[in-house]
Amino acid sequence: MNSMMNPVFRAMDLSLLHAASVLLPADRREEWLSEWKAELWHVADARIDRSAFCWQAQREVAAFCLGSFADAQCLRRQAWDERTKAVNVHSSATQCLLWLALLFVLCAILSSLLPGVRAEYDTVVHPLRPNLIRIAATDFNDNQQPSISYAEFQNWRSSYQRYFDGLGFYRTETQTVALSATHNDKFTVALASANMTSLLGLSVRTANAAADGDKNLPQIVLSYEMWVHSFGSDPHIAGRTIRIGEQIVRIAGVLPCGSWRLPVHPDLWLLMPDAQLASINRDNPGYVVAHLTKLGRDVMDSERISVMVRGMGDHEPFFCGIAINNNAAGPWRIYLFALFLAALALPAVTSLSMSESSFSSHRPSWKQSMARWLFLGAKLALVASIAYFASLDIAYARVGGYSEAAELTQLMANFLLCLFGFRWALMDQSQRCPVCLRRVTHPARVGLASQTFLGWNGTEMICTGGHTLLHVPSLPTSWFGAQRWLYLDTSWEFLFADLTL
Amino acid sequence: MAAETKLSHTAAMILQAIHAGYVYGFSIMEVTGLPSGTVYPAMRRLERDELIRSQWERQSIADAEQRPPRKYYKLTAAGKTALESSRKRYPLLERLFPVEEAQQA
Repeated sequence: MNSMMNPVFRAMDLSLLHAASVLLPADRREEWLSEWKAELWHVADARIDRSAFCWQAQREVAAFCLGSFADAQCLRRQAWDERTKAVNVHSSATQCLLWLALLFVLCAILSSLLPGVRAEYDTVVHPLRPNLIRIAATDFNDNQQPSISYAEFQNWRSSYQRYFDGLGFYRTETQTVALSATHNDKFTVALASANMTSLLGLSVRTANAAADGDKNLPQIVLSYEMWVHSFGSDPHIAGRTIRIGEQIVRIAGVLPCGSWRLPVHPDLWLLMPDAQLASINRDNPGYVVAHLTKLGRDVMDSERISVMVRGMGDHEPFFCGIAINNNAAGPWRIYLFALFLAALALPAVTSLSMSESSFSSHRPSWKQSMARWLFLGAKLALVASIAYFASLDIAYARVGGYSEAAELTQLMANFLLCLFGFRWALMDQSQRCPVCLRRVTHPARVGLASQTFLGWNGTEMICTGGHTLLHVPSLPTSWFGAQRWLYLDTSWEFLFADLTL
Repeated sequence: MAAETKLSHTAAMILQAIHAGYVYGFSIMEVTGLPSGTVYPAMRRLERDELIRSQWERQSIADAEQRPPRKYYKLTAAGKTALESSRKRYPLLERLFPVEEAQQA
């Protein structure tokens, strides 16, 4: 053998290092190989005589390289342990809160995308004028139907009024609207008295006041939905002219989203002077809206008022005034009510005891107890927040704006989500180790049912951190009615030594 | 890792060797007489437990000496504390390779 064999052995040594590196995770392989190659260079430099071949020296170098397998295995085990630590987040308090937070964010994002929810918020920003009523004929069973003719309205308005200081009329019909030279479509048009928007206290968005157009043309106000869908939310829409039937009209502005609370949701409002309204609507029934005086408010009986119209000759009809729900509090009012109901009903659906029994000195510190209560508080807060947004999502998923049915759905969904959400939060808390807040696992049935109820039987669950054992009786008895925690002493720790706590 | 950590004799020897100035793997092998399959895994564990930390030598230094750069190891504060308590446990540790010897080498 001569020194020509040295490169062969060197190649073999390097192959050993590369073979060992396969055991390592890919992200650590390069640095590990660099270190071992550098060390190999120094070992070879110290052991091998370059001018001659020595079996003993080559054997020592090879033995050095074989040690790399043990090192690679050690690093592989460390990487595995790190991964195990990550997996141990499973069932921890952090994981629970992260899931709840994720659900909360999803519900909140969804609600921000639903037009119905946005409309509900807009009602808070743009509330209707207070003390408004809608007037309908008392002989109409369905007071959503138009029941008052413009002739009756005109007579009524011209007579002396004690209860009202403002009256407005509107009726709806489907008309062809030419949005552009080539685009015609049918829309629900409300033919309304000119004071309608001021009577309702609606602030019309006139986005571009400078675009006057022809001020002598009749004015229309677009609904928010029509502005979005037919005009692509054009901010310079005010002042533009369009054609309704044969009539050219000027767009005055856009109503805020969700501000209309009266029967029939028109796409646009054609505000007309009295003379013009009378000429085309004299005998057609419509809707009347009135604003109550102080006297009118005093005689309101449970959101209704009976009105007799005088000054109409022999015919003195009775009408019924119904208060228009202003809903200025927005969805919060319903949410808080549902939350209150859920808090009242909670004891009926859950019977949990947060008490605990200790049989060793391994009790949690006051910091751990505080963390436990904080965790419960965070869970309840997140559940309540999720219930708020989820109920809005459910109620307004298919409704574009305010409706009584949507409010009822929101109330019911809110109540149920809060009730069962709180119940889940308390149940979950009862199965979390008071020391590390992980859920106890590995349920084991213990004991047999006793005919005399003197023997204990139930389920035992253990904390994966080795802190506690939870005893849950199958049949609550006078001497073992509720679940109990048993704090394990330090002699158990060796069983859980590999777990990260 | 806690200061009162009980180290094995091998780990204590490696800490003592690093403290004495033998700061890379092969020199620790040489001074302790331990095989590579023992020294390097032990150093990984000591590094994981933050008793030692490693640092690559600057390439320029290695280039000047015409050799590949080494990975040097150094005791951390926790490592020094652990070594102190290990010396009480293994009184002969200091006599194995005193500090002066390595610094002179």
